[in-house]
Amino acid sequence: MKAMIGQKRPKISKLARQEERQGYLFILPWLIGLFGITLFPMLFSLYASFTNYDVTSRMDFIGLDNYRRMFTDDPLFWRSLSNTLYYVVWMVPLTTIGSILLALLLNEKVVGMRFFRTIYYLPAVLSGVGVYFLWMQLLSPTSGLINTLLSWIGISGPAWLSDPMWTKPAIIMMKMWAVGGGMLLYLASLQGVPAQLYEAAKLDGASVFRRFWHITLPMISPVIFFDVITSFIGGFQVFQEGYVMTENGSGGSMNSLLFYNLHMWHKAFTVFDMGYAMGMAWVLFAIVLVLTLINMKLSKRWVYYEGEDQ
Amino acid sequence: MHYKFSIRMIWIIPMILLLLLTACTPRSDSSEPRADGKVEIDFWTFWGSETRRPIIEKIINDFNASQDRIIVKHTYLPFGDIWTKNLAAVAAGNPADVIINDYANVNLRASKNQNTNLTPYLQKDNIADTFYPELWENVLYNNEAYALPFNTDTRMLYYNKTAFKEAGLDPNDPPQTWAELEEYAKKLDKKSGQTYEQVGFYPLWGDFGVDSWLMNGDNGNGYFDANDQTTINTPGKAATLKWLLSWQDRLGRQTVDAMKAEFGNGQSDAFISGKVAMYIQTGTYNTQLEEFGKDMDFGVAPIPERESGSGHWSTGGGFVVEIPRGAKHPAEAWEFMKYLTGVDAQKYWAMENFDNVANIEAAKDKEANQNPVYKASVQNLESTKLFPIPLSAPDYKNLINPHMDAVFLGQETPEQALAAAQQDIQSLMAQNK
Repeated sequence: MKAMIGQKRPKISKLARQEERQGYLFILPWLIGLFGITLFPMLFSLYASFTNYDVTSRMDFIGLDNYRRMFTDDPLFWRSLSNTLYYVVWMVPLTTIGSILLALLLNEKVVGMRFFRTIYYLPAVLSGVGVYFLWMQLLSPTSGLINTLLSWIGISGPAWLSDPMWTKPAIIMMKMWAVGGGMLLYLASLQGVPAQLYEAAKLDGASVFRRFWHITLPMISPVIFFDVITSFIGGFQVFQEGYVMTENGSGGSMNSLLFYNLHMWHKAFTVFDMGYAMGMAWVLFAIVLVLTLINMKLSKRWVYYEGEDQ
Repeated sequence: MHYKFSIRMIWIIPMILLLLLTACTPRSDSSEPRADGKVEIDFWTFWGSETRRPIIEKIINDFNASQDRIIVKHTYLPFGDIWTKNLAAVAAGNPADVIINDYANVNLRASKNQNTNLTPYLQKDNIADTFYPELWENVLYNNEAYALPFNTDTRMLYYNKTAFKEAGLDPNDPPQTWAELEEYAKKLDKKSGQTYEQVGFYPLWGDFGVDSWLMNGDNGNGYFDANDQTTINTPGKAATLKWLLSWQDRLGRQTVDAMKAEFGNGQSDAFISGKVAMYIQTGTYNTQLEEFGKDMDFGVAPIPERESGSGHWSTGGGFVVEIPRGAKHPAEAWEFMKYLTGVDAQKYWAMENFDNVANIEAAKDKEANQNPVYKASVQNLESTKLFPIPLSAPDYKNLINPHMDAVFLGQETPEQALAAAQQDIQSLMAQNK
């Protein structure tokens, strides 16, 4: 009894300490990768964004000059940011709604449903530059399939990839083609909605729409949230579409396809203004971070978690 | 006892991993001297196609066989990738010994310490005079050479002689001025109702852009003068832009866009398929005509000048040979560069590729010039301009091009566009000081 008074907490056992050490040793390779390959480059780029670093000839500290130039002297910074915001604002809701509708459609018990699910999913697994060239053919103003179909119903389609009004809608349309990926997510979550909820609601006379609004939507809202966040973050990083579908990444007609990352790429690798490009990367990071935090905050109002007490 | 053994075993695992990682690191070829005592140098190009690769590799093999001290190894990297890899290699201090690089930004790379000053080697072997002056000027930075010109190109007016005859025009008298060009073009237009079966000419189809026409119409002056001052908003360029716009107004923008979208390659090429009677392309376009337009009766002419005496200005491009900064064997690289830009290799390249070369003697070789199109392209080099990137505004095109687009979309007048472009560029130049 007397011996116990002096001890404030139990001494950690030799075995536990040994296990702790072994645990750290096992994750050491991953830690080395994290610090060496992720954190160090991030911090280096943060420092470099306050310099005139150009990779091969100089790295002088210049304070906030890169950031000041960005906001006050570079019209293409704002142009590329607004192009990217336009893309995100339209692409995220459209692909999300498109995915949900497609999933609802393919969640019915119909003969041959596996076949249709496979067909709609296929575009999502196609990737790479070949897809962009395919779409350049489809979007051709006269011989392209899309304008041909439009002409059958009396609409004279635009020059999708050269009319600055239509270049970004064309890219968004391409993105809609690949909603199969999102469809799969929603299909899985839809099949997780308990059937008894629908039965109870139907018994009480709820219409199809009210069942959708009050049962289906709340039950799949966590997956919607996940999809929106990842699409949102991915949307800000759009680059390949602008690079491949304009000549040598030139930005297209009136710079209408000059996305933020494409402008950053030009600054980094065409004019070697690497410090400025790294500053742009941090600004993008800040924008995406703030908007994602806002998204997280707003999600408390509409995302329903089943096990949560309301 | 048992535990101590376990602890020792645990520590060994990451060490083994590190050793394996080290063992997997590829050993650099050039770090080991060759058994035969020769120096191996690495030569990077983007010429990996069926056509180009055998040609460049023959030149390399000939060089390797011509002496017993240096072995050149060819490394192919895709076009575009080669530049970013070069940047990374120079930054890492492990670059190629020789590289084919873009002509337009030799001076930018020099200002960024990415290539090697060739002055010490030129003092020993002064070969500056063997190149076209315009091409030599292009490789200078602070009046010192940082690259050697390798190949170049020039743009000419190709015209369909058969179409000329059908329109009652003399097939041996191509248009010399803008006025004649327009007159002939109207006569060569063929319409079927509202649809054009043949368009005589449209200035922006083919390989002569707005930039090139603005230069052609402004006495050969580009966007910057010799002192790096902007010459964007000039009367010559304003008149040119109005003239270009008048072509679109006459044909209709929808027609221009729709027809351009129809143009393909090979048989469906605009000129070969007969959609266009006059077309601007480089000298190498001739190989496509020979392959896909065997029965075509065509001629070539200098780009028409704005008015008599203002100059048949054309634009060129091309590639240079450089020693990246930090190369391990610059002296040997220089020997190979001299060979690459010497008469024999250049003549071989010119004849096999139907390409224009930088070496004057090779370009004017009698055998190569027996082909009339090639001969015309060599002569055209005399009035061909190159436009290196201005150091004070290296990404100037991103700011100028949108204003030019706006003119053709009817959103800005030529005067507004040129004034705004000049202002944007001057703002960019002010930033870069």
